[in-house]
Amino acid sequence: MAKTENGVRIFQGLLILGNVVIGMCGIALTAECIYFVSDPHGLYPLLEATENDDIYAAAWIGIFVGFALLALSILGIVGVIKSNRTLLLVYIILMLITFAFEMASCITAATHRDFLTPNLFLKQMLEKYQKPEAGNNNDKWMSEGVTKTWDKLMLQNQCCGVNGPSDWQEYTSAFRTTYSDADFPWPHNCCVLDSQGHPINLDGCKLGVHGFFKSNGCYAAISGPMNRQAWGVAWFGFAILCWTVSSSSCSPAS
Amino acid sequence: MCGCCVVLVLFCLGLLSAVFLPDQSQKPQLGDAQLATNNPTLTTVSLEKPFCMFDSSLYPNRSYTIYLYVMKESASAMSSLVTDDSNKPLGSTFQQTSRGQLRPYNAAFFDVPDCAVPPRLADVRSFVHASYVLKQYLFRVGDDGTCLYDPNFLGVCNPPLAPDTTYRFKYVLVDNSEGMVKDQTLWSDPIKTRRAKLPMKIDTWPG
Repeated sequence: MAKTENGVRIFQGLLILGNVVIGMCGIALTAECIYFVSDPHGLYPLLEATENDDIYAAAWIGIFVGFALLALSILGIVGVIKSNRTLLLVYIILMLITFAFEMASCITAATHRDFLTPNLFLKQMLEKYQKPEAGNNNDKWMSEGVTKTWDKLMLQNQCCGVNGPSDWQEYTSAFRTTYSDADFPWPHNCCVLDSQGHPINLDGCKLGVHGFFKSNGCYAAISGPMNRQAWGVAWFGFAILCWTVSSSSCSPAS
Repeated sequence: MCGCCVVLVLFCLGLLSAVFLPDQSQKPQLGDAQLATNNPTLTTVSLEKPFCMFDSSLYPNRSYTIYLYVMKESASAMSSLVTDDSNKPLGSTFQQTSRGQLRPYNAAFFDVPDCAVPPRLADVRSFVHASYVLKQYLFRVGDDGTCLYDPNFLGVCNPPLAPDTTYRFKYVLVDNSEGMVKDQTLWSDPIKTRRAKLPMKIDTWPG
């Protein structure tokens, strides 16, 4: 008899431990998703303009799922200590709902990451960067967002275009309608700038002389943070789900 | 005996032609691709200035000017003359020749580059000297669009070229005092400006 009681105690201890881990994971998930939603790299306007910002939606769901996991883990611990059947039933049902939301968030993040190809950002940059007065307010808002983001990207990451400055020569663009090719084969932010923000040698930049223009593409600077966000939300979420499944499936047994 | 005579005559002719006929084997070249990587662009072409191309025709104590002529390759069938009957350079402008479609137009004139002191291309790395070196070494056809906006402008114009079009270029050496053409290069190889694709044709499907 004592042995079974000991066994039950150990089992309950394990369940409480499992719930503590779920609670901490919940906090970690919330923190991670708040970090992504705060957009430290300032890339959200690019996604907003593609009308495909689902990796941000996945992060938002992650924040609320994290809080829910924290609350549920406390409920689970109370239920295990009190060995209350009702409490544990409520725990299981709510955990299933949270599980479903987190599953949706992970799958969304993982699949929508695949849409973020270089061509997507190339097309958007050519159509929206420095677009003159657009039609409606929404269009104008997106063009301004894209322009500001690209200007910041080119300045901070010393890069030009998606694949390189040749993007501006290979395709026509909204930029080309306002700025002539003779004066601006590419935007002046693609030139190496001095401390005042002027090109150090405009002729050298226009001719493509090495050292006076930025020859790298910005795709790495865009896709790096976005991939980290998508994979971070997706895989951490999946890991939590696996742990949740294994520990929740044991709790009815107690 | 007869064979010897023929050889001697041919040799003499060759020698005479080398001495008296101007060297016409040179033609305008595109700027060094390692230096100017963005060349040609949609509407501009950067050519090397004619260093040491006309040296055999230059006399000391006389001043000369180099004229640059531009024409579309389609015009070469119709007329590729750059001088009139009295060997004076044609003053046809961009507007008169229908953007180089009918016959060559005079895009620019500049001083003869100094053959003795060619620009040191390695100096282009220095921020201080880069502009000077580039100006000495290259001439950019299509650089100046401002003359297009003035309807009364009748002078020499170097406006942007047309995209996806083949052009040919020629340098002509003109004596300033006589106003006569002393020498000219051959027409350059056909040089085509870039073609721009439409962004709406970009396929964004990740599959």
